[in-house]
Amino acid sequence: MELIDKLSILADAAKYDASCASSGAPKRSSRGKAGLGSSDGMGICHSFTPDGRCVSLLKVLLTNFCLFDCQYCVNRRSSNVPRARFTPEEVVRLTLSFYRRNTISGLFLSSGIIRSSDYTMEQMIQVARSLRETHQFRGYIHLKAIPEADPKLLEEAGRYADRLSANIELPTLTSLKTLAPEKELGTIHSAMGHMRQRIDAANDDARQDARHPVRSNNPKRQAPRYAPGGQSTQMIVGADATDDRTILQSAQHLYRDFRLKRVYYSAFSPIPERPAGLPQAAPPLLREHRLYQADFLIRSYGFQAEELLNAPGNLDLEIDPKLAWALAHRNDFPVDLNRAEPAMIARVPGIGLRSVQRLVDLRRLRRIRYQDLVALRCRLDTLRPFVVTQDYRPANANLDSTRLRQSLTAPQPAQMALW
Amino acid sequence: MNPDSSSTAPRIAHARDFDEWRERARQLLMAGVPPSNVTWRDGDDSHDDLFSSPAASAKPPSSRKPSSTSIRIGRDQLALLRNAARYRTRGDDPARWPLLYRVLWRWAQGDAAAMHPADADGRVLHKRWHAVKREAHHMHAFLRFHRRDDALGERYVAWFEPAHDVLDLGAEHFADRMGGSPWLIATPEGGVHWNGSTLDYRFPCPATWATEARTAAERANADEDHALWRTYFVSTFNPARLNHKVMTQHMPQRFWRHLSEGDLIPAMEAKARHGGQRLAQETSVGQRKGKSLPPGRLPRHRTPPAGND
Repeated sequence: MELIDKLSILADAAKYDASCASSGAPKRSSRGKAGLGSSDGMGICHSFTPDGRCVSLLKVLLTNFCLFDCQYCVNRRSSNVPRARFTPEEVVRLTLSFYRRNTISGLFLSSGIIRSSDYTMEQMIQVARSLRETHQFRGYIHLKAIPEADPKLLEEAGRYADRLSANIELPTLTSLKTLAPEKELGTIHSAMGHMRQRIDAANDDARQDARHPVRSNNPKRQAPRYAPGGQSTQMIVGADATDDRTILQSAQHLYRDFRLKRVYYSAFSPIPERPAGLPQAAPPLLREHRLYQADFLIRSYGFQAEELLNAPGNLDLEIDPKLAWALAHRNDFPVDLNRAEPAMIARVPGIGLRSVQRLVDLRRLRRIRYQDLVALRCRLDTLRPFVVTQDYRPANANLDSTRLRQSLTAPQPAQMALW
Repeated sequence: MNPDSSSTAPRIAHARDFDEWRERARQLLMAGVPPSNVTWRDGDDSHDDLFSSPAASAKPPSSRKPSSTSIRIGRDQLALLRNAARYRTRGDDPARWPLLYRVLWRWAQGDAAAMHPADADGRVLHKRWHAVKREAHHMHAFLRFHRRDDALGERYVAWFEPAHDVLDLGAEHFADRMGGSPWLIATPEGGVHWNGSTLDYRFPCPATWATEARTAAERANADEDHALWRTYFVSTFNPARLNHKVMTQHMPQRFWRHLSEGDLIPAMEAKARHGGQRLAQETSVGQRKGKSLPPGRLPRHRTPPAGND
């Protein structure tokens, strides 16, 4: 099979993984050195396909032959899809070629399980090793960690990769049992735990190095790096009946127990040869969007999953989770922007983290006025009922939440055209 | 500050770039000249007119001024001013040098809010810095190198049309990224060449460079890896998630013309709308012969890793 045919099959087979981030890598440069590639911690989206998703990395499977029979997966062994397999050299060649043309910032390599978990992991490591050692490649590498593989192999993978990820896919034991009989939640968790230990240890060493810099420039004298971009995972949304509360609670566990950098949510897209019981509907994109918003509130705004959803069920599709929380906690509002703690300002719907910082900076210089919120381009329509400034108090502070919600979600009246 | 008589006379000050502006601004500030008395001009001062006072071009009388008039600004403030100056103004936008000087003047008067994003002037500065950062990022992301390999050796060539003065920000990035590979970037204004160890900037961009960049783009099909990239772009797209709005928000259409994959987008969208949207799979992949696999052995025990050490 020609390389171009393999690429078309194995890129198509890899698109179900939502992650395509190239952020979090340490600063590297190839200036004045042999080899190719740089990273500076910021990710770059080199293109966007018409699905609105970023193309940052060459995201392919090494092979889509697979021994597993996960029902939600297009590459499960019982699925009648075209199969292909790259040689490690072919993946290396594609990565370097695309990188030089500035169409990608690195490689995201995953694979179907062939022969054994260890063999598959070794094949992926071989690609990463060749890029890093033979070609002195300093771009981004994200490797899929196969939870069943020998810990020694995960060890080696972390030395070449900026990021490792093991996918949870389904957050509960029961759905994993029905839909992915060969996967075990315990094995995935123990692999994540192992990676967390290694990442933490490498970070400690790196901090030690920063405090007492090694005089030698020989990289062997410096602390060995281990997946400096951390680890991530993915959960499928909408393939089974799991609700948003369960999903967010398990995401919260993952952030806390394994210090994951990111949990990705992937709305289940209909696949060819769909097994019985899986939806044929369009992917639930709005639900996925709300989960990302809630996830961001948990990671960066100090919310708990239980605050956002205090009973089993799904997030409100009509309004965003921060507004929903504020409407359910009217007693905490309005917030006086000249007095409130920054953490409380961050809970005001319509004010983002950057604006919080700017407001805190500003009130050291002078009192905050309503006009400042206009200048900082906060979402005025949303925040109006929830804030107090030096010259502003909400007129509808006593309106009950149901009516307030109606006024916030009602379609804005539009001026009709004259003719 | 105690303005002497010379500070009330109208001045004309010239600046070609930020460093020249900084030098002039420092002199004017030390002479106590308020913003309303300065007319700023782009370009050099070789044709200074009669009204310009010698103070603006002569050495500053620093020895006679007490240190209290020397102005200190932080690194962050300097970065804000320097990067906001890269913004290309259009139409009724306030011109760059007067705005910068007014902010600096207010700052020197003790008005720390002048550079805050909620301030009338500070807001414009921050908006410009944001636009400049975004454009530099666009250059890092959407510039496409074409490979040329002839008598002159292997090199990578690109044409790019930045909306603001970010050529050097892009060049530094690509020098880190490409290491020893020589490359050339041509733009409508300037050009830059990297020979593997140093950057060579030219303003305006030499015609030969612009021609080389255009030719490389026209002959992109001669490079077989061009087709590989286009294949990848089509295959990684998920038609079931079609979302035109998000794509164009992140990748404005003005860039499509010079992207290796840009001309594919309309056809991909059309195909998705006409039936392709039912599945995530790319239709051409679905048309290939499939193969389901027999249940295989799945080793539950671990095999010792071979060739690992």
